Amino acid sequence: METIRSDTAAWESYGFSAETVERKSARELLVQHLGRCADHAGLSSGLRALTDYVSASHYLLVRHDAAPEAGLEAVVASDWPFDMVRGIAGALLASQSRTSELEKCLTLLKPCFSHLDETVTAPKGISREYCVVAFHVGRVRMSLLLLFPEHFILSQSKLRDVGVMTGYFASVCCQGAILRQDREMELTDREVECLYWIAEGKTSDEIAVILGISRNTINNYITSVMRKTATKTRSEAIAWAVRNSLV
Amino acid sequence: MDIQLSAPGAMETEIRLARPQKAARASDFVSRLQVMQTILGAEHFAVLRLSGHGLPSARKLTLSLHNWAHEVDVNARALMEAYGPAMLAHLEASMLPLLWEGAGENQFAESGAEPFTARLPARLLPWSGMAFPVRLGAHGNGYVVFLGTFIAPSSDLIVDMHMKSCQLLIDMLAGEEKKLTPAEALSEREIACLQMAGDGCISEAIAEKMGLSVHTVNAYLGTATTKLDAVNRIQAIAKAIRLGYIT
Repeated sequence: METIRSDTAAWESYGFSAETVERKSARELLVQHLGRCADHAGLSSGLRALTDYVSASHYLLVRHDAAPEAGLEAVVASDWPFDMVRGIAGALLASQSRTSELEKCLTLLKPCFSHLDETVTAPKGISREYCVVAFHVGRVRMSLLLLFPEHFILSQSKLRDVGVMTGYFASVCCQGAILRQDREMELTDREVECLYWIAEGKTSDEIAVILGISRNTINNYITSVMRKTATKTRSEAIAWAVRNSLV
Repeated sequence: MDIQLSAPGAMETEIRLARPQKAARASDFVSRLQVMQTILGAEHFAVLRLSGHGLPSARKLTLSLHNWAHEVDVNARALMEAYGPAMLAHLEASMLPLLWEGAGENQFAESGAEPFTARLPARLLPWSGMAFPVRLGAHGNGYVVFLGTFIAPSSDLIVDMHMKSCQLLIDMLAGEEKKLTPAEALSEREIACLQMAGDGCISEAIAEKMGLSVHTVNAYLGTATTKLDAVNRIQAIAKAIRLGYIT
């Protein structure tokens, strides 16, 4: 009975020790296979192996740090039909921004099931339900979305395995992409420092005392942050920084 | 697996996102860690949690659970001096477990999950060790560390232990959840005003959109600030985003 999604049960359910098994487990073989695919060119074959491991049919890997207006930029890799990708990428990012930060923290690596939108046509024989597993590669939150055949029940413990292993795999494969698009790099240390103190409720005068620089300099930093992040007010700049977990 | 599906109870857990019923106590965490330590063949464990919101320079790892008994000060300091900065940087960039070899004759550390483990410089500490990075998101990030003389887990075991480490930190965060919620719930109007302020609207613009006077809008933002225990509007916005009231 795999449909029980209780947290306490999950703690026990994946707690078997591998030491007693002499033969290599499917999980070990999968890690070996992923090791061979661990460069950017192997991304799709690695994800395919992970998808097969849970008996799912299609994978879609998205990152959540892309701006909502970036659209398909958020999609790292996928073998879903293109129309479905276009349909779901936006919806997924929107639903993420409706979830509270705390809720996001507590649901990490927990497989969640959702239904495809009515307007989307799923391929024949594919369930209209899909599964989402979220994980963090460094500061970048990513989700693996899996389609699976109709009337099929995916194993909860295998889905969790896949969450961890996709995280490992992405840590190696997508390292370049993650560093390159890190938006924090655009801001200087001083600017981030100012943002941090403002988010703590300090005024320009107080920050001037804390950092030992003049309040005009502080205001210049803030103005430059607002220019770089295309925000109109201080409040919006702070909101942006919190959303992007800079502060 | 235990199957107990009394219909209303099951519904409720589903809605409550299957959070643990009662807050787990430190002793529960310690016994879980002891089991993990035994399976890994380690001699000690330590849970390090990231503290200090915001600035990279202000963040640090603090020891939250351990079984070092009276040697805690010396050992914790040695660990942080040797690997603290490397661990902090790693948590920002990757999900791969860290592995290191200790100083001395009989030290051995080998991972069955190459290339999905990262090695730290060897021979800086008297013990070998393995550290599982856990990044949940805005809160509750950290490491679960195991120390011993002979650390050589299979890939199977690594994936399993990493999942348990994640679950452990999720449960620790869930236990602290109460402290994160504000004393009084925000009203719909207050949330709407905060949302717009966070989106870069000035009070006048909010007033126009909501059909209220500027003074009323400022009053709403003021009460929201009090309820969120913030000192000014900007800190209230930052807190509201972190707590999930606004996006």
